[in-house]
Amino acid sequence: MHLLADPVVDWNQLLDVIWAALLGGIAVPGAFAIALFGAVRATDARRNGALGLAVGYWTLMAVAMTLVLASIVFGVIVMTSKD
Amino acid sequence: MDAAFVLLVIVVITALAFDFTNGFHDTANVVATSISTRAMAPKIAVGYAAILNFVGAFLSIQVAATIASGIVDADLVTEPIVFGGLIGAIAWNLITWYYGLPSSSSHALIGGVVGSMLVAKGPDAIIGSGLLGKVAVPAVVAPILAFLVAGVAITLIYRIVHNLRPGPTNAGFKGGQVLSGGLLALAHGTNDAQKTMGIITLALIGGGELNPGADPPFWVIVSSATAIALGTYMGGWRIIKTMGSRIIKMDTAQGFAAQGSGAAVILAATHVGFPLSTTHTITGGVMGAGAAKRVSAVRWGVAGSIVTAWVLTLPASAAIGGATYAVTSIFGSGLTGPLIVFVALVIVMAVVYARRVSQGSAITAAET
Repeated sequence: MHLLADPVVDWNQLLDVIWAALLGGIAVPGAFAIALFGAVRATDARRNGALGLAVGYWTLMAVAMTLVLASIVFGVIVMTSKD
Repeated sequence: MDAAFVLLVIVVITALAFDFTNGFHDTANVVATSISTRAMAPKIAVGYAAILNFVGAFLSIQVAATIASGIVDADLVTEPIVFGGLIGAIAWNLITWYYGLPSSSSHALIGGVVGSMLVAKGPDAIIGSGLLGKVAVPAVVAPILAFLVAGVAITLIYRIVHNLRPGPTNAGFKGGQVLSGGLLALAHGTNDAQKTMGIITLALIGGGELNPGADPPFWVIVSSATAIALGTYMGGWRIIKTMGSRIIKMDTAQGFAAQGSGAAVILAATHVGFPLSTTHTITGGVMGAGAAKRVSAVRWGVAGSIVTAWVLTLPASAAIGGATYAVTSIFGSGLTGPLIVFVALVIVMAVVYARRVSQGSAITAAET
């Protein structure tokens, strides 16, 4: 059974937009928040003399921030590539 | 120099003028959240947005292809039809700018061209499936999607950072807003500048300079990018105030989520060639980021007046576009009609701009 607007609306394209927007608009800001969490916690841990914990939080920050930047670079590469 | 070439030059200049007003009008979409949360000083935010709008225009040509061949029958297009559509869009942009309403420049452009084409060639010249599938449905989906994405994103962000000290957290999100605001400017440049590229390409097809289905020439891409960047730099301070503070009062995390969601939706849509309204999309993001924290934080009355402007945009710009074509066709199919309307447009734009400037900016660097 076809949906009413099937011949008019390219649902595959629309679904691509929806999942890409959900992924980019939620996962990337989420990863940035995790990076921020790691940075603030690392500073607090270092201030309290817990150097091991600070290194752990710095690592978390670095991984999360790498994900953020890699996602942005990936997004721009996808944008500039022709289908 | 023959009349046909002069007519083509007038249409191209008018298209670039539209692109300029598009940047001018939509500066608010890109920088309002960064300014209202004080993540960036207004002048820096506007300059930054202008540069990234310029860069963004070079990223893709999918939307230009949709405008040039997916909405009206390119085989039937003539330069006066494109000119009428552009006047419809510019006039509507000026009216909404004058009254501080962030309506959609994109829908004004599409409405103008459709109205002009309807009057010139009748309903058969409109590609209904393109108008519905590429414009109308994405127009409804995009702001809702941005609303949901921003709402979920800000909820997730608050869960992650709720126990952190506010000072460094706010500073971190201000840095994040530099990133998300930049992406939003890039997204705006790529989607909106392409609409002008598509329109100029359509005019070149109408003038017999290009074949239907051709990509925009490089000079069209460069000139469109420059016009939208200049318009963005000149800025639309009055609308910035509406977008940045009258819809909701935002914290830095909300600004970050709103800009990130807007950029994600616009970039994803641009990649498949949907000519979205950046205004609709970022407003959806702003409202989503506000409503997720507290529904009453959103000033729904202001949001309602913005929605009203949106609903009016397509028919109003179509009516002006159609009327412009009818006026120019009184003088025949040659240069005279567009030339008279073009001169009148320049005079009206100068008067409107002078009046608005004499009334003062609605927001200044000192206020923020």
